[in-house]
Amino acid sequence: MFLKLLIGALMIGSVYGLIGLGYSTIYRASGLMNFSQGDLFMLGAFVGVTFYRYMGLPFILSFILTIIVMFIVGILLERLVIRNVLKKSTGYFIVLATISLSIFFKNLAMLIWGSTRIEFPSIFNIGNVRVGGIQVQPEQLMVIIVAWICMIILHFFMNKTKFGTAMRSAAQDPLAAKACGIDVTLTTGVTWGIAAAVASVGGMLYGPVYGVSISIGATMGQRAFSSAVVGGYGNMYGAITGGLLIAIIETFVAGYISSDLKDFIAFAVLMLFLFVKPTGLFNERALQD
Amino acid sequence: MKKKINKSTVATLILLVVIAISPVVVQSNYIYSVINFMLLYVIATSGLDLLFGYSGQISLGHAGFYAIGAYGSALMSLHWNLHPLITMLIAAIIATIVGVVLAYPASKLKYHFLSLCTIGFGEIIYQLIVNSPGDITSGFTGLYGIPAVTLFGFKLSKNISIFYMLLIFAIVFMFVKQRIVHSKVGRAFIAIRDNTAAANGMGIDVTRYRVMAFGISAFYTAFAGALYAHFIRFISPETFTQEALSVPLLTMVLFGGLGSLWGPVIGSVVVTLIKELLQATGTYQMIIYSGFIVIVLLFMPRGIMSFISGIAEKVKMKKEAKADVKN
Repeated sequence: MFLKLLIGALMIGSVYGLIGLGYSTIYRASGLMNFSQGDLFMLGAFVGVTFYRYMGLPFILSFILTIIVMFIVGILLERLVIRNVLKKSTGYFIVLATISLSIFFKNLAMLIWGSTRIEFPSIFNIGNVRVGGIQVQPEQLMVIIVAWICMIILHFFMNKTKFGTAMRSAAQDPLAAKACGIDVTLTTGVTWGIAAAVASVGGMLYGPVYGVSISIGATMGQRAFSSAVVGGYGNMYGAITGGLLIAIIETFVAGYISSDLKDFIAFAVLMLFLFVKPTGLFNERALQD
Repeated sequence: MKKKINKSTVATLILLVVIAISPVVVQSNYIYSVINFMLLYVIATSGLDLLFGYSGQISLGHAGFYAIGAYGSALMSLHWNLHPLITMLIAAIIATIVGVVLAYPASKLKYHFLSLCTIGFGEIIYQLIVNSPGDITSGFTGLYGIPAVTLFGFKLSKNISIFYMLLIFAIVFMFVKQRIVHSKVGRAFIAIRDNTAAANGMGIDVTRYRVMAFGISAFYTAFAGALYAHFIRFISPETFTQEALSVPLLTMVLFGGLGSLWGPVIGSVVVTLIKELLQATGTYQMIIYSGFIVIVLLFMPRGIMSFISGIAEKVKMKKEAKADVKN
């Protein structure tokens, strides 16, 4: 029981972390909150299932294509909507704009893919794997492994490449970065693209285990922003840690106490952290208020 | 200056008289149910405007207060047989207390985090309704048979009679709002919104007024929720989600224009009308609606009133420029 719950928690926590990463990088880069992050995750899952199930492409190829498509969606989102709303008004309106976009994406997905759950065909045609004496779906292990590979790649991209350094400096001080010749509009756009792409990785990994439906966007998105706050909003590593923490609390409370409490936990933890320690586990100072 | 006030008072009075006698002319039940919803939203958004427009605190969880009002009043009148007007008042006071308790820690948070916090609050209330202790709210089944309001032996169960009650409440709430705005409290709200540090320096107790704004706002919205429960007489959780209520309320306030008496009224009327008209588009309803919000934010971020007055100003300036050329 314990090991089974732990694997489940690690798996779902990695997905929370992937979505939460998007909240944090966007906040770091532009001081904004993107409430459509959960729906980008959902769109990613739907695009993935379209490539893999309906077009019959191999999984690796559909995985890469999904990332590319969602990266472009993220960039377009920033270029067409966010930037134009910001020209005329303040961050308040971005909150409402991204919430409206989230409603928009959800209903768009319902029109295209319908409101019933779509099953993701099995990826590995082998049965369950035995880990430490319990049966585990291979797709579940894939979630943990691929999610962590993605996070490590993102870590190296942000810290070791030239473009990553440019992105970090633009986030720290846009004016100084501009003076050094960094294209800040480009780095901000790419940040949104990366946020969408990382969320879609989460969707592609989540889909094979739980199936894809329009309701996953809202629930996962809310868990993910709770994770980002718990870890320290704006901190990449905080989002991952927060995701794991929330997933562990949630899974074990549901497993040992009552599953009615499951939907309640993430918000209770969120409120607790907002009130007691808004800077999160990683003590991240909010960059902009 | 004095003449201007008189003019607007006269206009308001004429408008009220027209609205009040209109049921004699129009007798469609459907139209009155739509108008009743508009009036409910006028009350709720007036409260949200006091919080967001005047004191500068965003809330994405006002559905939570609306739900406390609706469920509180419905449960009390169902189980304790109290008069609905009394239960409405008690429910709104409970919501005010909840609002104050929430606001004490929340008033420290800046806007992004305040929006997260209020989303969390709304969701927690929603979850409490769905999985209530002892199932007193009967979950997704909802509560049936909520009593109608009776006044002086008259049972207000027809849409038209409810319309009069809601109209009176809306006017009272708007009047009180105006009194609050023009009092010391209202000026403190505005000072805090415009420059928190300066307000603090002037000796305004920022936390106290922020908490007060939350409490008043919760009272307004919860009262509207309670009125809703006794008007529709059936409530179920899906009315009180963020997407179905909190976001539309915020849209109405933004659309009508923040920080004004008539802004919430215009916002409530227009957004409710648009939602009603979009019913005909079926599955496309929410897509068009959300697209519409984005377009409003892109093209008229200061609300429709300032959009119109902006155009009027441009026309005026062009006319004046033309006159100058002629001279």
